[in-house]
Amino acid sequence: MINKRPTFWLTFLVLAAACCLLVVLGATPDVAASSKKTKNPPKPPARVFPDGTPWVPVDQVAALKRAHEPVPPLVMDVLIESPMERQLRLNGKAPSLKDAPYRYMVLDSPILKHKDDPFDDLYGPVRFMHLKHAAEVHDCLVCHHYRPKAEHASETTRCSACHQQPFNPAVPGRLGLKAAYHQKCIECHKKRERGPVDCKGCHEKRVPDHSKLVKLPDHPEPITVTRECLRCHDREATNMLTSAHWLWHGPSPYTVGHEDQFVLGKGTNTINNFCIAVKSNWPRCTSCHAGYGWKDADFDFSDKTRMDCLICHDTTGNYYKAPPAAGMPFPQIDLKPIAEHVGKPSRKTCGDCHFQGGGGDAVKHGDMNSVLYYPTRNCDVHMGGMDFQCHECHKTRNHKISGRSLSVPVAEGSRSCEDCHGDKPHKYHSGKGHEDHNLLNHHLNEHSQHIYCQTCHSPVYAKCKPTKVWWDWSKAGDKKRKAKKDKYGMPDYVWKKGEFRWVESAKPAYAWYNGRVKRVIIGQKVDPARGVIRLTEPVGAIWDRKSRIFPFKIMRGKQMYDPENGYLIVPHLFGPDGYWKTLDWQKSFEIGMQAAGLPYSGQYSWVETAMYWGLNHETMPAENALGCAQCHPALNGEQTCNRCHKDTRHLDFKRLAHRGTDFAAMKAKGRDVGALIGQTDYLNFKALGYKGDPIVYGGRFTTIPLGGSVKAQNTSQ
Amino acid sequence: MELSRRGFFKVMGASGAALAATPGKAKATWKSKAPPDAYGCLVDLGRCIGCRKCELACNKVNGLPEPEKPFDDVTVFNQRRRPDDKAFTVVNRYYTGRTDERNQPKPTFVKVQCMHCQDPACASACITGALHKNENGAVTWNPAKCIGCRYCMVACPFQIPAYEYSNPITPRVRKCTFCFDRISEEGGTPGCAAICPVEAITFGRRSELLKLAHQRIKRDPVNYVQHVYGEKEVGGTSWLYISQVPFEKIDSYNMPTRQIPKLTETIQHTIFSYLWAPITLFGILGGAMWTLNRQQITGKSGPGKEKEDRS
Ligand code: SF4
Ligand code: SF4
Ligand code: SF4
Repeated sequence: MINKRPTFWLTFLVLAAACCLLVVLGATPDVAASSKKTKNPPKPPARVFPDGTPWVPVDQVAALKRAHEPVPPLVMDVLIESPMERQLRLNGKAPSLKDAPYRYMVLDSPILKHKDDPFDDLYGPVRFMHLKHAAEVHDCLVCHHYRPKAEHASETTRCSACHQQPFNPAVPGRLGLKAAYHQKCIECHKKRERGPVDCKGCHEKRVPDHSKLVKLPDHPEPITVTRECLRCHDREATNMLTSAHWLWHGPSPYTVGHEDQFVLGKGTNTINNFCIAVKSNWPRCTSCHAGYGWKDADFDFSDKTRMDCLICHDTTGNYYKAPPAAGMPFPQIDLKPIAEHVGKPSRKTCGDCHFQGGGGDAVKHGDMNSVLYYPTRNCDVHMGGMDFQCHECHKTRNHKISGRSLSVPVAEGSRSCEDCHGDKPHKYHSGKGHEDHNLLNHHLNEHSQHIYCQTCHSPVYAKCKPTKVWWDWSKAGDKKRKAKKDKYGMPDYVWKKGEFRWVESAKPAYAWYNGRVKRVIIGQKVDPARGVIRLTEPVGAIWDRKSRIFPFKIMRGKQMYDPENGYLIVPHLFGPDGYWKTLDWQKSFEIGMQAAGLPYSGQYSWVETAMYWGLNHETMPAENALGCAQCHPALNGEQTCNRCHKDTRHLDFKRLAHRGTDFAAMKAKGRDVGALIGQTDYLNFKALGYKGDPIVYGGRFTTIPLGGSVKAQNTSQ
Repeated sequence: MELSRRGFFKVMGASGAALAATPGKAKATWKSKAPPDAYGCLVDLGRCIGCRKCELACNKVNGLPEPEKPFDDVTVFNQRRRPDDKAFTVVNRYYTGRTDERNQPKPTFVKVQCMHCQDPACASACITGALHKNENGAVTWNPAKCIGCRYCMVACPFQIPAYEYSNPITPRVRKCTFCFDRISEEGGTPGCAAICPVEAITFGRRSELLKLAHQRIKRDPVNYVQHVYGEKEVGGTSWLYISQVPFEKIDSYNMPTRQIPKLTETIQHTIFSYLWAPITLFGILGGAMWTLNRQQITGKSGPGKEKEDRS
């Protein structure tokens, strides 16, 4: 795109001159030296499905289509009756969940739009979980409070049939649609002390058009852009000063032994088994820092002009940081049009860093990669089905972004599936021909006390792109060794880094997890003689009521260890004296450990480490979650639900128990899940501490009511 | 306790009477000029959630300057505000002693703007007719006629008109326009009423709104004060209020039900008939006003002047 601009060459010359100047001044030798050979910035991801067809978030599009349907004529005559009168009239035939035609809606009726109003566009439409509300309130008539007088009309006529434009003299006192929504929602949320009552709790606030507000010269310097942002947004920048994305450290409330500290973080003292640690490798690692020029230990974290606002607020898709340039953007990019189109973060802005963790696409996270820019519904139901942006779940306040993980200790607030879906997430959504779901939903909701949602709803990780699961640094340095490609086309070797293994659509490791994490930090004594060193590890146990089963990617590898001092080593990798230039480990360790502020004995060895990574994204649609029989061997024989439930009228127990993740269909689509087809005991009950299938042996706190006789029944048949 | 305002009008009445040679005659000839089918707005304080969107809309539709604090900043509620030349409407918060289910103080939010009196004192005080009660109910200001005497500011019983002191070249008298242009259009609504997310502001014909107001308070006698503010106050206003807390607890002045112009015009006509310089009237009105304001500031004047905020 940039190449098309007529001013490109002029720009290039100016920037090239600027770079030269930098070199001359010696301001940022690493940065300047590397920018000499920087390539062109990448192109923004194409809005297409993997097969090249245009990307459509199906559920969102369907919901919007319904919302934008032509407005029906206003219902003039309403049947006004008290709830009691209505119940009597309905005589037990009140509408119920099975009458709810739509799970998900977007409240965006054309009635709410008044193009002439200068305040029409303040807030975006509201995502509305219709079925969830119906199930929670358990009475359709709470919202569908009156009905039209006309007899043929539905008992649950849509809101906009009666509530349209406000102040209609033909129906004095009738609320308009906007007020009807707001009054009902707010009143009920207040009464139940559940659900948001503030504007931003339901709506996305729209960012005003900045093209007239931003005043910048052509081809501004990054810091000039930030200064311009600060002209109006000093308060935001002040909030940013204490944020994890700026400091790379922060509160660690879930890390055992560090609960009330504000020091842990990748900028300070965490260590991993990918590129090990940030210290001494700043310009490379900090190319994902929301700032400009963190190239050494002297970076000034109080200087707001060093913040990079565009990395999160770009909406053009054209803003890219140059990989080893300490957070500086590609010099070719003209920042003016980008600054003029700032807005809310998106999957693109978050993903540009978070999909690329570990130095490449899908390397670190088992559940996040470039596929999520425009995923299919099956890849991630929220992002692919409903076009969720990251910050819609990771609610942000004062530039503190909620969410937590195992890989990094910093948590500025926690998010869980239950925040939106409730602790009984399986709705009694029967509908005609699905009467059996009530039975299933009851049991699934019981499961929520023992397993996290992710366990069933993310049955495989790296579903759409291979992720790295093994990294052996001890093998690095062999420039002659040729990399072999594995079955996914991924290399098994890079001389700078060592040996790799990758997996795709892999079964997670399952463990009990109560939300707390054990973590090794830089300088902490570890003993390889006691087995593989676990850099991060979930805390939990089968007997702990707060623990539930959670799926993990386990990253394994070999890394450097100082046997004299008994701790892991921080290597210096990047830069003129780094290992990637010198191939000299001793020198690399000396410099790295000096930067980490720790003595290095001069001795080193290679030790095996493991790191648990939580799997929270790539959520499967409900119909593709793990099914009963896929985990419970006891349901794979002759008997299924009829082990306990004797009444089989209307219910096809077999069908019910054998629904679940369709691995065969996934395989047909090219996913590497052949080994998972037809599996049972998917989670491995024994490994989790059960005696065996809880249906036979009992749960962790209870036994199945008919448990004792189950075995006998089975054998006698 | 409710004496301050009434006291003021008594003073005025007295001075008027003292000045008037033929007061009885003037009184007898006074006639309400209230338009028969005026628009109005019914502000339901029981609905208002204090979101300040009406302030924002008013700012936008009137092209007013950006405020110091953004419209989603609720810290402005820590002070009692008045409409001024940069904000034609403001929302104030009152804690009147009500509590919610969790025993937390329950706020009442009150939107303040020009009441668009049926017989506006401001218009009648205006010697050039720059302020005018329109057929549709809006009391508007005409820059071509205004000579900057600011009588309107003194005359308004609600202290609404504001003067652009910061603009020495072309200072304007500013106040809520009832969105005259917008409501003159077919189906048009005032900006504040259009944006209000909960329809705390209902726009319509005043006669209809009165019915609606009485209906609403009658249907919910447990919560609503059985009074429609603006139905009778100062002879009736286009903007009406219903509330769940007593009006005297939310700074609404206990207004006389007489039309103020009946009084002021009497004074004025009397003065003019004696060819007194307007400055004298200004002096008298201003003097009385000043006394009143002092009383309010020092908190001497009775009801509902709860200046402290328990937030
Ligand atoms: S409230 Fe004041 S400014 Fe408004 S119409 Fe009445 S007298 Fe005039
Ligand atoms: S009617 Fe118009 S001018 Fe008056 S407060 Fe409402 S928006 Fe402002
Ligand atoms: S917009 Fe409506 S609810 Fe919000 S403060 Fe104004 S009157 Fe109250």
